Amino acid sequence: MQNFGSNNELDEKGHVLNEQPKIKVKFEPKPKPSKCPICTIEYYQQFFNIEQRDVYMRIRCSILSWKPEFHQCVGKNPDLWGPLWISTTIIFILFAGGNLSRFLLEEDKKHFKYEYNYMYVAVLIVYAMAFIIPIILGVIMKYILKSELGVFDIVCMYGYSLSAYIFVLILCIIPYNEAQWFFLMCGLANSTIFLLVNLWDFMKKNKQTVLIAIPIISFNVALILCFKFYFFRLIYAVDD
Amino acid sequence: MEFEVQENQANNSIQGIINLQPQVNQVQAQQQEIPIKQTDLQVSSTLEESVAVTLLRDLRQIGVKLRCVLVPTMSTDNAKELRNWDLWGPLVFCLMLALTLSLSGNNDDGPGIFATIFVLIWVGSFVVTLNAQLLGGKVSFFQSVCVLGYCVFPINLGALFTLFFSFFYLKMFLVIGCFLWSTYSAVGFMKLLIPEQKRILALYPVILFYLFLSWFALIV
Repeated sequence: MQNFGSNNELDEKGHVLNEQPKIKVKFEPKPKPSKCPICTIEYYQQFFNIEQRDVYMRIRCSILSWKPEFHQCVGKNPDLWGPLWISTTIIFILFAGGNLSRFLLEEDKKHFKYEYNYMYVAVLIVYAMAFIIPIILGVIMKYILKSELGVFDIVCMYGYSLSAYIFVLILCIIPYNEAQWFFLMCGLANSTIFLLVNLWDFMKKNKQTVLIAIPIISFNVALILCFKFYFFRLIYAVDD
Repeated sequence: MEFEVQENQANNSIQGIINLQPQVNQVQAQQQEIPIKQTDLQVSSTLEESVAVTLLRDLRQIGVKLRCVLVPTMSTDNAKELRNWDLWGPLVFCLMLALTLSLSGNNDDGPGIFATIFVLIWVGSFVVTLNAQLLGGKVSFFQSVCVLGYCVFPINLGALFTLFFSFFYLKMFLVIGCFLWSTYSAVGFMKLLIPEQKRILALYPVILFYLFLSWFALIV
């Protein structure tokens, strides 16, 4: 017990003479709530433990999709920065580029009606593709098909697989049907090959795990069909 | 006042005894004056002043902060001023921008645009700040939202000017200028608080945020 500067009067034996009122105070560190770790911000800090060099390497792995190097790039450090901001960039390109493409085709440019719904639909589709679908697939893979990959590894992979679409969708602003289909097919091939090549180790385990390729391919095909038939649909003016 | 403390390593806590009886003797008690705190006087006086004076004072504070944010000189005074964050300025500029854009566009889209801009600014500032914090930046949450809100002001100016000009290339030039001004101010503030290797990761969302808003200002 350390006694800092006591002014109590003591008798000859050293006992305290004047009893002064004392309050016992206990300082304890706040116990961490363990009910919902996923709900706290501190949980997500581990997914932003990344530098700009790492993000560049991961995007590069994604663009060069035929090389199964993504797991090496990521290691034990999946991040959420990539999925979040790549998908937000794609939303902006869909919103701006989709309307720009229609504008370039429009004959009556003065009375062009801007479609604000593009933003809401883009938010729905892109965030579903970047987060909801990989979370569902990840949970199925981890808990039913017993994969070593965690749910956030799959989310990270899906997020970076969308990075090819950034370039593809900018090119799709060119208002020619054949050009748009060509670029979208390139994007589809790149994205799907990236996902399949990096999940190949998991898929070749048994007949059940190969079936995971079916939802992966179908969701990617559905995505480019949405891009083509909603955002970049070309409506030509009908001559009377 | 005295206290005795003992560290309890078993459950990682500190136990102590605080003696709250002041150690004064009779003579000191008589001579002691209770000093009236300056802030007590100020609090009571602000309650009695007129509404106009209060509003003018708040507007003046908004003006001072606006000057700090928009003339990015990196001086220490700027940094100190910005630490006294407030959300009035961002709210005023957000409402101004949302109103300007919703009134200048088609009447049908007006309410939709107002809601979109309002939500975009607040949710966008929140997400960009959260991103910077998660990347390990030493950013105070409301301070960052405050600065991002103040930096919306050039885009506000751009939106107002585009109301008066119809020549598209002039509008585009103005909006691009305002976008660069906003981004430069916001980036100037944020980049000091993020470590070097993560700077682009924290600043890219800021650029995207102002790009979104400028695009709205251009197309409406």
